[in-house]
Amino acid sequence: MEIGLGAYLGLAMVLFGIGASGFLMRRNALIQLMSIEVMLNAVNIVFVAVNRFHPADHVGQIFSFFVIAIAAAEAAVGLALVIALFRIKKTVESDNADTLRH
Amino acid sequence: MENNLIPWIIALPFASAIAIGLSGRFSTHDKLDEEGIRKHRGMIHTLAVGSVGLSFLIAVKLFIELHNPDLPARVLTSHVFDWFDITIPSASGFRDVPIAASFVLDSLSGLMTLVVTGIGTLIHLYATGYMEDEESYARFFCYLNLFTASMLILVLGSNFPLMFVGWEGVGLCSYLLIGFWYETPEYAAAGRKAFVANRIGDLGVLVGMFALVSVAGSFEFSEINRAASMMNGEFTMGGVALGTTATVACLFLFLGCTGKSAQVPLFVWLPDAMAGPTPVSALIHAATMVTAGVYLCCRLSPIFLESPTAMTVIGVVGSITALMAASIAVVQREMKRILAYSTVSQLGFMFAGVGVGAFSAGFFHVFTHAFFKACLFLGAGSVMHAVHAHGDADIFKLGGMKKYTPITRATFLLSTAAIAGFPLTAGFFSKDELLLGATTIAMNETALPSWLGWLVAISLFLAATMTAFYMFRLYYLTFTGDYRSADHGHDAHGEEGHDEDAHHDDDHHDHAYDAHPHESSWQMWVPLAVLAFGAIAVGFLGLPHAFHLPNWWGHWMDASISHLPGFGPDDEVTNMTPVYIAMTLGVAAWAIGMGLATVLYREKNEDTFTPKFPKPVFNFLFDKWRVDEAYEATIIGGNRGLAKFAGRIDKSFVDTVFTGIPAFVVKMASWLFTRIQVGAVHAYGAVLLVGVLGLGWWFMYPHPTLDVQTSTDSAEITAAPGLGYTYRFDMDDDGNFDFPQAPQALEIDFEDDASRMQIQRVVARVRAAIAPVRWPNDRSALGHLKDRNRRIYELHPPTSEIADLQRILQNVDGVEAIHWHAAGHERVFGDAGNAAFDYNEEDFVGYMLTVAQADGSEQEMRVLPELTIIPDSFFPRVQFEGSPPRVGFDENGRIKIFPTATVNDAGEPATRPDSVLVGGVRQDEPFLLGLGSFATVAQYRMEVFPIVRARVEVRNAFGNTASEEIEIVLKESAPERVALGGEVRR
Repeated sequence: MEIGLGAYLGLAMVLFGIGASGFLMRRNALIQLMSIEVMLNAVNIVFVAVNRFHPADHVGQIFSFFVIAIAAAEAAVGLALVIALFRIKKTVESDNADTLRH
Repeated sequence: MENNLIPWIIALPFASAIAIGLSGRFSTHDKLDEEGIRKHRGMIHTLAVGSVGLSFLIAVKLFIELHNPDLPARVLTSHVFDWFDITIPSASGFRDVPIAASFVLDSLSGLMTLVVTGIGTLIHLYATGYMEDEESYARFFCYLNLFTASMLILVLGSNFPLMFVGWEGVGLCSYLLIGFWYETPEYAAAGRKAFVANRIGDLGVLVGMFALVSVAGSFEFSEINRAASMMNGEFTMGGVALGTTATVACLFLFLGCTGKSAQVPLFVWLPDAMAGPTPVSALIHAATMVTAGVYLCCRLSPIFLESPTAMTVIGVVGSITALMAASIAVVQREMKRILAYSTVSQLGFMFAGVGVGAFSAGFFHVFTHAFFKACLFLGAGSVMHAVHAHGDADIFKLGGMKKYTPITRATFLLSTAAIAGFPLTAGFFSKDELLLGATTIAMNETALPSWLGWLVAISLFLAATMTAFYMFRLYYLTFTGDYRSADHGHDAHGEEGHDEDAHHDDDHHDHAYDAHPHESSWQMWVPLAVLAFGAIAVGFLGLPHAFHLPNWWGHWMDASISHLPGFGPDDEVTNMTPVYIAMTLGVAAWAIGMGLATVLYREKNEDTFTPKFPKPVFNFLFDKWRVDEAYEATIIGGNRGLAKFAGRIDKSFVDTVFTGIPAFVVKMASWLFTRIQVGAVHAYGAVLLVGVLGLGWWFMYPHPTLDVQTSTDSAEITAAPGLGYTYRFDMDDDGNFDFPQAPQALEIDFEDDASRMQIQRVVARVRAAIAPVRWPNDRSALGHLKDRNRRIYELHPPTSEIADLQRILQNVDGVEAIHWHAAGHERVFGDAGNAAFDYNEEDFVGYMLTVAQADGSEQEMRVLPELTIIPDSFFPRVQFEGSPPRVGFDENGRIKIFPTATVNDAGEPATRPDSVLVGGVRQDEPFLLGLGSFATVAQYRMEVFPIVRARVEVRNAFGNTASEEIEIVLKESAPERVALGGEVRR
């Protein structure tokens, strides 16, 4: 049986949903960062899969590399932020990072 | 004749003004030592005097050239550059009137130029001595040179706007120089007063200018004067008839003259203007600028002569001014103040002369007055300089000055004689000409009323008597008797017979002047001497021609100034009575005035005469007729009250509505929005997700958003682009998509000789035969895939079957033509976003009836055959006498106009402005209005355009489709979108 585009898209959707719900439901900043990574990877799957089925050029594959590179940078910055947050608040719960509001 | 030297007359002082003005900031005491400042001042007065002197030399050269016998027109012109165009309405629509920077030097402007530059040079020279102790030396000479340049623009400009530049320029310089010592608040206020009074007059100049231009169609003075005879038409402003154009224009121009030349009612600024340095008073407020009004009247003398009404007003106002100012001058006690009122009075003389048509005489008085009044002011300045008086000098604290300042005294005496009309001086001749002008009107038949002549003659006689009196009073009290400030402990106030403290308590009355006066330096007395010579001699230029004496002045001016018909310099004077009367009046005025003053004041140290006036009269005169107080109580007070009222409105209403309420709204909004900012990251994330989902939802469906470009017979519809959109167009509302443009059908390369369009239709038909199959998954059914990336398919149409079908159909009876209907091609989409289509009658849906007005506005109405039209709504802005034409349909659904048949009293059809015309032929019967043709209904133009309907369906990558239907009006127009219920189908 050939696996069609729909299956890949479905997988991406499920992954994105897991990431999004994780980001929204958890309060731990580290877990939220991980959820973001999951969502980014869901997007990568879409890019690569669509590229596989429409191989006119390879924009999709190239773009997924960009996404991976940016995700790495984002993780570095994000973790640094989490550490900075911990130093101030002695916690990594994102609920407490509301200094700008007050 | 063209002459390139003329602009240099203006350019030299102007360049000098800029150079001096720019150099001023580098010459303060903290930047230069004494030596440096001395050198810098040397540079300044070399430049200032030199530039004006050079201008004078050029002017002399040109004036001599003007009398070259090879130049019969006696006009030199210089066109420098085209300045700008202005559009004015004319009989045949609008037209552009060019305004050039061009100059004209004829005898009028030439003589004025000689006065401005010649006397200007002398006064510049005088000022180098007078202002030697002044800190702002550079600023003073910058302003003075700038004034000279502006005055020359005013005089030499050949058209109204250019003259107005000079007119405003001299006003500005006057303001700057009156307020030269701006640290003193009263002086700064005097400057403002002058500026405001002049602004009121300037409005009049502008209105007068446009009144003249509206008739003459040109801004050039020469053109306007040539059109003088056309100025007798009625002039209306805002629908109100105000009189003839000449009257309206001249009265408005004269309003400007009352401001600039200090006539009643705007004269109040000139006496206060003496706050400026004395050379300024001499140059601007005596010799040149204040005579600009007389110059303007002379420049436009043909226009003024067209309006006896305006001339009468001018004559009366001039007479009143002459009398009023002279009466004030009789009792004043400061030198410059007396001279200032004397100037106002003499300007009144000039305008009285203009008012009786003696333009040439009025301008002659401008010329002679420039000499003796400049000399008098400079002499007063010399006295003030000698005794170190600042601002003004009280003559009761002077006296006996002939001992200390002999040269000043001699020149002052000569000029006093001239202004008083001592026989054979300049003032004698010019005043005599003015009186002659008045008596001529009084005793001859002219366009002007004879009572005006008598009024002017008697007023001028009285004013001249007073002039001789107060001038010799001034002279005797200043220069004869004892020097009353020699003893410092002397109280000048005690010996007056009246209580003058009630009138003025200026601080310069409180202490006496320098006990040891001295004669001024050569820079100051040389100009005095030259001007005094002029005050005696220039009168011989205009000897009375009634005695067949050579009257050069009249002949010079005859080329530029008009005169009453029959009273020119070449006309024989038949009636000698007015001449003798005028001469008697002139001599009598001088003799009475001077004789009285000599008896009362010669070698006297106090005033024993004027204090004996009844107290109310004296106070009234001493308070200058209380004009300032009257203005303060009425106009200025009213204005101030209005300003206070407006200020309260601003504070209460405007600040609430435009500041308070918006601020409150913003405050509330910001409170609301800060509630949203909860500061929790996951809350922002949730909102973000909602937004992303909404965006995704929007991308799920296509959005056609059509735009239409039409011409008379075709239309181009453009749909919005989008990701993965494909389109198909039904352009003619027949349910078939004329432009499916499916890529798999259109991009094939057929070896068939059938045309592209036919193939397309055949393909559609073939597909219908194979249908139903789902699109786009059934692409392979159309043929085989040739190029996967470009999605090009190779099709194999059943050409033999088509040929068979055609053959069969052609043999069927009654079939005239074969159309391949694109059955089943609804599912074919193209990826082109726009499509063009030609329309024919079959595509017709309805009509668009447009009604264009004469003013360019349009009104449109959609007319579908099944609709009933209420035609009144078409003509909302025109008054129809009867009922407007109706619009309806004939049995075939074409537009039909029913003109309203009207009959007049005789029962015949009447032609009315609202008749319906088609092709120039009047229509009384109902008629059909064809497509593209038009009918004229009153000032309207009715046109009919067809409406067609088109539909576009868009499909995006998700397979969702949306369609939009639009109606298109076929006419040449800007892009138009007439979306009628564009439905979106999914």
